Amino acid sequence: MADFDPKRIRKTILDMAYSGKTVHIGCAFSIVELLAVLYRKHLRFPENNPRHERRDYMVLSKGHGVMAQYACLAEKGWLSDDALHNYFKNGSALKGLADTHIAGVEVTSGSLGHGLSVGAGLALAAKLSKTDQKCFAIVGDGEINEGPIWEAALFAAHFKLDNLIVIVDANGFQAMGTTEEVMALGNIESKFAAFGFEAVTIDGHDEEIIDKTLRQLSENQNGRPKALIANTVKGKGVSFMEHDNIWHYTRLNHTTYADAIAELGVTA
Amino acid sequence: MRDAFSNALVAAAKADPRVLLLTGDHGYALFDAFRKACPDQYINCGIAEQNMVGVAAGLAKAGYRPVVYGLAAFVPIRVVEQIKIDICYEKLPVILIGDGAGVVYSHLGASHQSFEDIAVLRSIPYLTIYSPADRYELTSSMRRMFEGGSPAYMRMGKADLGDVHTSIPKSEGDILKVTDDGEQTLIFATGAGVSIAMKVREEIGGAAIYSAVRVKPLSADEVFAAANGRSHIIVIEEHSIHGGLASSVSEILVGHYVGAFQRFGIKDRFSETCGDYQHLVREHNFDASSIVEAVRVRNNSY
Repeated sequence: MADFDPKRIRKTILDMAYSGKTVHIGCAFSIVELLAVLYRKHLRFPENNPRHERRDYMVLSKGHGVMAQYACLAEKGWLSDDALHNYFKNGSALKGLADTHIAGVEVTSGSLGHGLSVGAGLALAAKLSKTDQKCFAIVGDGEINEGPIWEAALFAAHFKLDNLIVIVDANGFQAMGTTEEVMALGNIESKFAAFGFEAVTIDGHDEEIIDKTLRQLSENQNGRPKALIANTVKGKGVSFMEHDNIWHYTRLNHTTYADAIAELGVTA
Repeated sequence: MRDAFSNALVAAAKADPRVLLLTGDHGYALFDAFRKACPDQYINCGIAEQNMVGVAAGLAKAGYRPVVYGLAAFVPIRVVEQIKIDICYEKLPVILIGDGAGVVYSHLGASHQSFEDIAVLRSIPYLTIYSPADRYELTSSMRRMFEGGSPAYMRMGKADLGDVHTSIPKSEGDILKVTDDGEQTLIFATGAGVSIAMKVREEIGGAAIYSAVRVKPLSADEVFAAANGRSHIIVIEEHSIHGGLASSVSEILVGHYVGAFQRFGIKDRFSETCGDYQHLVREHNFDASSIVEAVRVRNNSY
C-alpha cells in the first residue's frame, strides 16, 4: 500500500498545511519525488524501525520542507492520521521544522547549514563501525549559502565518506527571491566536484532518473562522497504554486485548497 | 593539569573504543600521548569548528562518545548554535573541552580570551558545566562527564597554578570544601579563582573557601549549607562578572542571605593591554592584592 505516490504525498502536505493553517508548501513540494524514491527504494530500516541502529539515515537539512517528510513517515506507518491532522496545533508533537524528537527525523533543522555536518558524522560512524549504512542528506540550494555546508564538504571528501549522498534541492529560490538574485551559486555540480565529490545533475522530479542515479551513486564505493544536484520546481505539482515564491509564505484558504486538491486529482 | 587531562583522556579511550577525540586542529603537543596510544580514535577535523561539533553530534547519535577539543574562545563560543541544536536538544553524550579559558592567552588579545563561556552555556538546557581548579578536580570532572552520558562542557583555565586539593575529591558535589574553620567570611571560587582565593584568605585573616567544580547544575542546597551563618560572601572567578559563578550563586542566595556580597572576575570590558597572565589578572582587578584591598575598603565602610 505504501508506494509513496507523489500525488498522495502532495495531498497529505496540502491537508496538513490547510488544517494547520501553515506555510512552507512550495519547498515541501519540490522534494516530493526525491523523498518518494528514497523511501520507496533506497532507505533501509531493519524491522521497519525508524530508530534501528543499523538503519540508513535520511537527513533533511532543509528543515522547512518537513511536511514532505512527515507525509512519507505517515506512508511508512510511523505517523498517525491524527498526528498529521494536528500538525501546527497547540500541543502537537509535529513542529513546523524538522525535529529529531519525531522518530524518523534525523536532524533538528531550520537553522540552516547544520544537517550536512551531522550527516557526515553519521556516515563516518558507519565507516568506523564497518557497516554498510548510508546517509542521504537533502540540502536546499538557498541553504548552501551557509559556510558549514562547505566545511562539511571538505570533511566528507577528506575522510572519504562515499556513503554520504548529498542531494541539493535546486529549486532556484530562497527566502527573498531567486538564488540568482540573492546569492548567485554558479555551477553547483562543479562546486561539489571541486571539493572531491562525485557530482551529477538531474531532473529532480523524474522518479526513474532519480532512482537510477541514486543507485549508481550509492553503490559506487570509490572513496568519494556523492552529490546529486536535483533541478526542481518550487511548488511543483500545483500549477499556480509553481515557480512562485509566495507559496513559501502564503496560507491556503478554502478556494486555493480546493483548487489545488482538484488539480492533483486525488481523493484519498 | 594538562597531563591529568591527557591521562584521563587516554584512559577513557583505552577503556572504551567508542570514545573519539575530535580536535579543530588544536592541541599540538597535548595529544601526543593520545595519538600514540589510540591513533584510530583521534580525528583532526581541521580548522572548522562548526562542522566538527555537527560531526560529533552525528557520531554520538550512532553510539560513539565524542570528546570535542578546542580553545574556549572557539569551543564553545563559535559553535553555540551547534551545541544547542545538534547536541543538547537530543541530549547527546558529547563532551566539549574549552581550553585556555579566561585570560590565559594574555598576549594574544580579544580573539583568544574567553570570559563569556559559562554565561552563554548556562542558559542552554541539559548541558552540564565543569570548571576544575586543579589536576585532582579535573580528573574527577572527566570521570563524571564520561559517566554522566549527557552533554557536558569542561572549561580549562591556567594550567600551572598548583594544587588546591591533596587528592582526587571523592565528593560528587557541585561545590567542594577547600578549607572551612567556620569563619564569618566565605569565598566561592572556581577554576583559577580558587588559588587566588587561597592567597586572599591568608591576607584577610581567614576565610572558608569552597571550589565550584560543577557550575551547572549548581546545587542550591550545597550553596545554602556553605553560606549558612556567614556575614560576608566573596566570589572569585576568571570569567565575566556577568553570568558566571557570581551570578549563579547570587541567584540562589537572593532572598535567603543577608550580608555582604562581593564579586571579582573579568570586568565588563575587553582586556586593554598586552602582557603576561598575571598582568591581565591585575588589569581586571581580580588578583589577590586588589581583592584584599577591595575587601578592606568594604569592611571599613560598614
